[in-house]
Amino acid sequence: MGMQSDFYQLLKEQGHVFGVPSQAPRGQELTTATTILAFKYRDGVLVAGDRRATAGNMVMYDRTDKVLEIDRHSVMAIAGVPATAYEMARILEHSFKYFRRTQLQELSFEGKLRALSKLLKDNVPAALAGTGAVVPIFVGYDFEQEAAKIYFYDILGAEFEGADYAVSGSGSPTIRGILHYVNTWGEQPLSAMPEEQATVQALRLLTSAAEFDSATGGVNREAGLYPVIKFITASGVRTMPDAQLKPLFETKVSRHV
Amino acid sequence: MYEEPYKWVEAVGNRRTYLDEQFKEGAPVVGVTCERGILLMTMSKGTPKLYEIYDRLALGGMGHPADLEKLRFNLLEMAHVEGFNRSASDVTGGRLVKYGMAPAIKQAFEEVFKAPFIVKILLAELGQKSGKDGFLTINYDGTFEEKSQYAVLAATSAVEQKMAGYLREQSLASLADAVGASIRTWAVGDRAQRRALDEGEGHDEAGTGPDQQATDSETLYAYLRRCIAEKTVECALLDRHVQGPSKYRALGVDELKTLLPNGLSPSLL
Repeated sequence: MGMQSDFYQLLKEQGHVFGVPSQAPRGQELTTATTILAFKYRDGVLVAGDRRATAGNMVMYDRTDKVLEIDRHSVMAIAGVPATAYEMARILEHSFKYFRRTQLQELSFEGKLRALSKLLKDNVPAALAGTGAVVPIFVGYDFEQEAAKIYFYDILGAEFEGADYAVSGSGSPTIRGILHYVNTWGEQPLSAMPEEQATVQALRLLTSAAEFDSATGGVNREAGLYPVIKFITASGVRTMPDAQLKPLFETKVSRHV
Repeated sequence: MYEEPYKWVEAVGNRRTYLDEQFKEGAPVVGVTCERGILLMTMSKGTPKLYEIYDRLALGGMGHPADLEKLRFNLLEMAHVEGFNRSASDVTGGRLVKYGMAPAIKQAFEEVFKAPFIVKILLAELGQKSGKDGFLTINYDGTFEEKSQYAVLAATSAVEQKMAGYLREQSLASLADAVGASIRTWAVGDRAQRRALDEGEGHDEAGTGPDQQATDSETLYAYLRRCIAEKTVECALLDRHVQGPSKYRALGVDELKTLLPNGLSPSLL
């Protein structure tokens, strides 16, 4: 007997299928999504993502939210096929809530990481078929170790801890080098930066990625489109509002590009 | 044995008597709406009786803990699968109770060869807008009722009416008002149940004195002080001011200390 605590297993028992491989028709470009980053700053972890979704050369959407809040203390930033990534986020969100409500305690941070690994592993057939690859970054607050942590994944589900930072998506090679440089030889390491300085850094990094990667969307001031930036600390997940990003971009970023 | 209709009716009647007996010593549950959201309150001896079901749904229960757990899991399963397949807005208390829970409880009650669920359930639903909050209560036979301002569970409908009558005259504006009114209403119900129990056991002198009938605040607080010494005060809030989709939160000891009236302290929490 035994009481269920695994929502994903419950879905499977109800006939839900995930990660089924399918072949895209020849010449059909799939929608993908692009540059995401996370780094440790003074108070926790900052996670940021651009807003563009593309299909081949086509810009499909410029208001995509790639930094998804899974629960009060964790977010998943997505790069890859949004259809699969959003499905993963929905499964995770319900899984974490279901665990908390059935077991009357929060799922541990390690348990959350394992849940995402399991989804990625089940998604391997779709990822290798070329129709469902997702390469996420997972950030959450680990109450056992009293620290916000960063994990990144490959498409097979292997998880790696980002000691200082992690990047993913087509624009990530550009900013990975910058992050290494800033963190190693900058005036101060990323982990010492206060919130505002970290935010400026994230805006500059995403602007650099957009400069060299057509699949990464830059800031569109006319349309009022800014990246999504969230902070994960002991008190939970918080989103930096556009009203605060706008003046920072105008005074600390735009004059340099 | 039960193939003849009147024997089946007799068997169901016996089952009703049996079930009524099971709730005699149960702790009442009180649910009230206030400006802050919906408050659920009870007192328990160890096993919790208030639970989060979904983003805007909470449950309070009386009865056998194993039956309550089974039905709680059924509710959680229905709510989460529905919320995943459709949307959180489609997970409503009315749908869960009318098309899921109540028919299952009724079926178990009427299948006289099987054990019934020894439960009474109160489901609270925080509305999208203030004034749209609601309650559903389900009895052990599957009958359910919808209510808006408040709802209670107790051993008998007579005790529930007494509690509702008291609650009707209380102010429920602020969270502190709601906590105060709920805990006093709980005392009204628990005292009435205890009195009925004593009368049933032939301890008439213990239950019919003027003090046992009184519902003035001082008498109720004195009674509550005795209860708090041996039980845990449980309060949960569907808080409309909480950010994010999940509105449920249990009130902790520190918060309860500031909210409980008349120097009551949740010492055992």
